[in-house]
Amino acid sequence: MREAALLAAALAACVAGMGWLALAMETHWTQVRPDAPTRAAVLRLRALGGLGLAAGLALCLRVDHASMAVLVWVMALAGAALAVSLVLTWQPHWLRALAWVVSRP
Amino acid sequence: MFSNFRQAMAWVHTWFGLVLGFVLMACFFFGSLSVFDREIDRWAIPASRHAAQPMPSFDTLLQPIFQDMQPSKESLDYLRDRVDGPLPARFDTVRSWGAYTTHRDPVLSLFTSYEVPNARDPDDAARGNRTIDPRTGVALPDDRLKIGSQFFYPLHYSLNLSWKDLGYWIVGLAGLTMLAALVSGVVMHRRIFREFFTFRPKKSTQRSVLDLHNMTGVLALPFHFFFAFTGLVIFAGIYFPVTHTQLNPLHELHEKLEAEETGLPHDRAGVAAPLASVDAMAAEAQRRWAARGMAGEVGLLTVSHVGDANGYVSVYRAGTDRIALVGDGIHFKAGTGELLREDPPRTAVDSVNTFLTGLHLQHFRHWLLRWLYVLGGLLGCVCIATGFIFFVEKRKKQHAAAGSQGSRVVDALAVTTVTGMLLAALTILIANRLLPESLPAGWPPRGDLEQYLFWAGWALAMAHAFVRSAPVAQGRPNPAWREQCWAVAAIAVAAVLLNWLTTGDHLARTVFIDTYWPVAGVDLFLLASAALAAGAARRLGRRAAAGVRPAPRAEAAHA
Amino acid sequence: MTASLASRPRLHAALRVAAAVLGGYAFCWGFIALATSGLFALGMPFHDAEHLGSILGMLLYLAAFLWAFAARRLARVWLVLAGGGALMAGAASLVQRTLL
Repeated sequence: MREAALLAAALAACVAGMGWLALAMETHWTQVRPDAPTRAAVLRLRALGGLGLAAGLALCLRVDHASMAVLVWVMALAGAALAVSLVLTWQPHWLRALAWVVSRP
Repeated sequence: MFSNFRQAMAWVHTWFGLVLGFVLMACFFFGSLSVFDREIDRWAIPASRHAAQPMPSFDTLLQPIFQDMQPSKESLDYLRDRVDGPLPARFDTVRSWGAYTTHRDPVLSLFTSYEVPNARDPDDAARGNRTIDPRTGVALPDDRLKIGSQFFYPLHYSLNLSWKDLGYWIVGLAGLTMLAALVSGVVMHRRIFREFFTFRPKKSTQRSVLDLHNMTGVLALPFHFFFAFTGLVIFAGIYFPVTHTQLNPLHELHEKLEAEETGLPHDRAGVAAPLASVDAMAAEAQRRWAARGMAGEVGLLTVSHVGDANGYVSVYRAGTDRIALVGDGIHFKAGTGELLREDPPRTAVDSVNTFLTGLHLQHFRHWLLRWLYVLGGLLGCVCIATGFIFFVEKRKKQHAAAGSQGSRVVDALAVTTVTGMLLAALTILIANRLLPESLPAGWPPRGDLEQYLFWAGWALAMAHAFVRSAPVAQGRPNPAWREQCWAVAAIAVAAVLLNWLTTGDHLARTVFIDTYWPVAGVDLFLLASAALAAGAARRLGRRAAAGVRPAPRAEAAHA
Repeated sequence: MTASLASRPRLHAALRVAAAVLGGYAFCWGFIALATSGLFALGMPFHDAEHLGSILGMLLYLAAFLWAFAARRLARVWLVLAGGGALMAGAASLVQRTLL
């Protein structure tokens, strides 16, 4: 049960990380918010994105042997990127919360 | 031939991708199904629907069975032309016995090999196999095809085409093509970072199909690359049999040196000897692993040079908690049970090699990672399918104007390899449920019939795809896509219903009442596929009715 | 040779494909043979030498394959791949002879 919770948290961290990295690109930021992103916001988004992905890796390492954890993480990144792409295509407003973390509208 | 590097890469990507893409679809699709091959076996063989068991007692359960086993009919047929003289009625000199189990398998696989008297090639062996219920020792009937592990799985690496290993070579070339397609694809994709998250389904068909092709290719690029690469590494011995041909003398020299080094005899002594308690040896092996801080179950047990004074028993640890395969072997003298050798820790090169092969062969216990692998495999299928669709979309108007049939043929082949392949897989599942439990005498075995029906179903889908493809030669979509999507949806639901009707294992039971995930998982996967296929079919139908260019058919490309 | 090939694109394409697939194969065979025998001669355990040779060999096949299409002159591709492969295979047999 604890393992399942940690893995779920790892997936969530990867999705958030990918979401932030996507929002760091102007085309995607403007899908979620009407204003253009400031330079500071973009840097913060990239940093948060990196942190999210790193947190995902750390959580994976808590669950499994290193060789397995790295594989789980790499695959989770692919799944997370796919999820973010599909959300951006069909329901971009779902990512508003991620944008809100970086700058209030 | 090309004016620049990018053009050269585009040519390779387009033409090798097109030709070998048809093979790669089968590799990726059946490879994805193979992640859960043993669970599919449970669906196909209701008699085996019970929980996985650890390795049972060798002394009381396995030994009498091994002593009873003899080479299989296939093995004898293969050897008939390779001996100078008749084959014996009973093979008494046993080279090895092996028992293999996994954390996913409620059945145990037993393997035997025997010396072949009068063989022209001294390395030839007669082989036997049997699958038993480890709780009782009762064998599964021989004609039950394990649709997952004995059909879908070998299909993905050999196309079940074993004549002169032709299937292996075709898949090998396809694997190399996949790697080339990935690298050339990256070279061709000018905006790979900018368009990382981009998918625009509302734009023109060509643009949205290309977006999906790029997305599924790039997002899972490490997966696609590593699976193609590790597949090639696993079969490197088949593709480049250097040490059995040009460097065979060196190989023989090494075998002798290794036998001296390890103390594991290469040949029989020719003196008979009894077999000590193998259960005691297995217990000792487990004790030693635990002492090293890697407690584990027995995954593989082998007895070499059976009945001979040089005989030895090897006990290997099941590789469930790490990527590297079954390993950490501990070897005992068969006659006395004394320890001969504990395999030393792996060298750096060996660790890399077992990591790479273990990554592909998946002996580990990790349900999330397995499902992520299925996701990666299906993304690969979508990538290849959208590649075909893009090829046709880009050219069909010009071909229509020029009166060429090129797009039409490619499109019909694409339908065959995408929805047609799904229909073939569904056909074998339906056949499995509908064929009678015991067939009249003179009929082929049940498992063989299931396979014939698989290929027949695929051929039928191909015929349908071609017959309906005339509109493509006029620059319009092929209605076979929509029609086969509906067929997939209907047949997938039928398979779930047939499982219920013929075995009583309906979803409410396998999920809630008497939980059995292997069967529930297959049923749920079939229902999800039916839903996706139906959704795609409706979308295609609406577009066709509205006269608008159809939405990407990629939703139908995977199940 | 180049002038006549330029006017026969299909033949040129076929020869490129042959160079990539067959020439690439010969090159990798030679590499794997030389790597296996050479590393074994240098003291690496036999199966390690075999596996390392194969792992690197597959990556090399990919590189040779793509280079066969990217290179300007087809003649050079054949020379390097088939010729190089033969040289390496020959060297491997020499190494084997000294070890036996």
